[in-house]
Amino acid sequence: MKVEPLLRIDGISKRFGGNQAVDHVSFDVPHGIILGLIGPNGSGKTTVLNMLSGELFPDEGITYLEGSPITRLSPSQLAHLGVIRMFQMTRVFGRLSAFDNLLIAGRAMGLTAAEASTRAQSLVQELTLEHVQYLDAGQLSGGQKKLLEFGMCFMCPPKIALLDEPFAAVHPVMRETMSRFIQSRNQSGQTFLLVSHDMPIVKSLCHESICMNTGKIISQGPTRSVLEDPNVIEAYLGGDHE
Amino acid sequence: MSQIENLWSRRLARDLKCLLLLCALMCFVPLLDLSPYTLGILIVGFYFALMALAWNLLAGFTGQFSMAPAAFSMIGGYFTALLNFHLGATLWIGIPAAIIGSALLGFLLGATVLRLKGPYLSLTTLAFAEIARVFIGNSHEFTRGDQGLNVPTLMDDRIAYYYFFLALVILMGSLIFLLMRSKYGGYLLAIRDDADAAESRGIPVVRFKLLAFTISSAMCGFAGCMYGTFSQLVSPEMGLLQQTGLIISMVVIGGIGSITGPVLGALLVYLSSEWLRDIGNIQLIVFALLVMIFARFFRTGLWGIFLEIYARLKSKKHN
Repeated sequence: MKVEPLLRIDGISKRFGGNQAVDHVSFDVPHGIILGLIGPNGSGKTTVLNMLSGELFPDEGITYLEGSPITRLSPSQLAHLGVIRMFQMTRVFGRLSAFDNLLIAGRAMGLTAAEASTRAQSLVQELTLEHVQYLDAGQLSGGQKKLLEFGMCFMCPPKIALLDEPFAAVHPVMRETMSRFIQSRNQSGQTFLLVSHDMPIVKSLCHESICMNTGKIISQGPTRSVLEDPNVIEAYLGGDHE
Repeated sequence: MSQIENLWSRRLARDLKCLLLLCALMCFVPLLDLSPYTLGILIVGFYFALMALAWNLLAGFTGQFSMAPAAFSMIGGYFTALLNFHLGATLWIGIPAAIIGSALLGFLLGATVLRLKGPYLSLTTLAFAEIARVFIGNSHEFTRGDQGLNVPTLMDDRIAYYYFFLALVILMGSLIFLLMRSKYGGYLLAIRDDADAAESRGIPVVRFKLLAFTISSAMCGFAGCMYGTFSQLVSPEMGLLQQTGLIISMVVIGGIGSITGPVLGALLVYLSSEWLRDIGNIQLIVFALLVMIFARFFRTGLWGIFLEIYARLKSKKHN
């Protein structure tokens, strides 16, 4: 019997005025994988993520979660189905404490006050945010905000976490914390779609990767072979390299 | 692992305690043997406190900048007055009708405009407010136009009215406290801080904005109806944009996003507006300048200044 992929993206396209940001992109995200989505700036990675998380609707194509179409669902509906997204530009609730940010994320996903409190306490420890948990999120450093938003995604373990540049502008120690967190959750079956420019991390974390350029997929497969693909190297470095 | 109480709930509890303290102090004011005129000014000050609380629920706690609070107050007043004028309905019917009618209109307007963001929401509610005011003012046969309509009174004694309005301020402040302390209050705060992030965390943003808009409209309608019973008259003047400006300045000066701040702001602004009347009609200029100063230098208003002083004193004592 054929196993249904967790997420199936079937020929999605998005155009902004004259710019074809995503052009008939199709791929599957199997259960329990860390899938890397890489590509130079402007290649369409974030637009794909926006369409998967309901921030944008595709002009064409369909997306499926475990076989059911989810193309035109809102971000909150998708979150309740288990598709959670972390933004490239960090988005937290700035005038609420870090702990309250986690609590609200948990309550919104249907946890009771006691469950949300317990999970928030365990997440602040795991993400080393204990010392800032009662500060307003707006007062945290950029890296701490990233960790907080990252933690909010896991208050109620999602089916798939869509992470957009989680390691950008983050202190190496925090990066290590996040990276360990992703690995440990993945070992217990959590699926990730990770957009990143950080090639060493993509190499160490992602089982498989997809590389996009000018809105199209130019390479996909095991991460090592994608990173060694001449098309990928050309897309990143331009045509004049050896 | 023990359950940690959330910080926003603790902040709200402190806020409510301060409101109750302020109201407790206001209980002694009638003992000063004030004239009926001064008592009347204080009662209208409480009416504005109700309006400021209702607008603050929307702007301060949900981040939705509506320009229609005065219009909803006028609508609430007219629901009661029209039912009485045309059908002879008593206040027992007129007051619930004002609340339900304003809530329903708020719901319908909210369902139409709450997908709009930023200036578009303000512009649409501003247009609604002006249409409602002009419509009521021009419908002479149905509303008696600018002449206004009489509303039956609830009680004749001004001191009784004073305590009644004070109780309403406590009631509305407490209801807002209960709403904001619940998980739904947490969602509203999340929407205020970042609506897109709230949506992606699983909060149905439009539904909760609509809830806040409907509750705020109902509160404004109720306040307008109560004002009508006190002044025994409702007129299109209640819905003037100038009234909305006054409510906004009360909230900004008192402290947006709190419970005590809008009440404090309403009392200070309205009372000083009456005093400033004696030295020429310069109150609007003074308040406009104050709003600019507060918006530029003290964004958290008087409530924020109070909290900062309190925190400094506390840390000094601690050290």
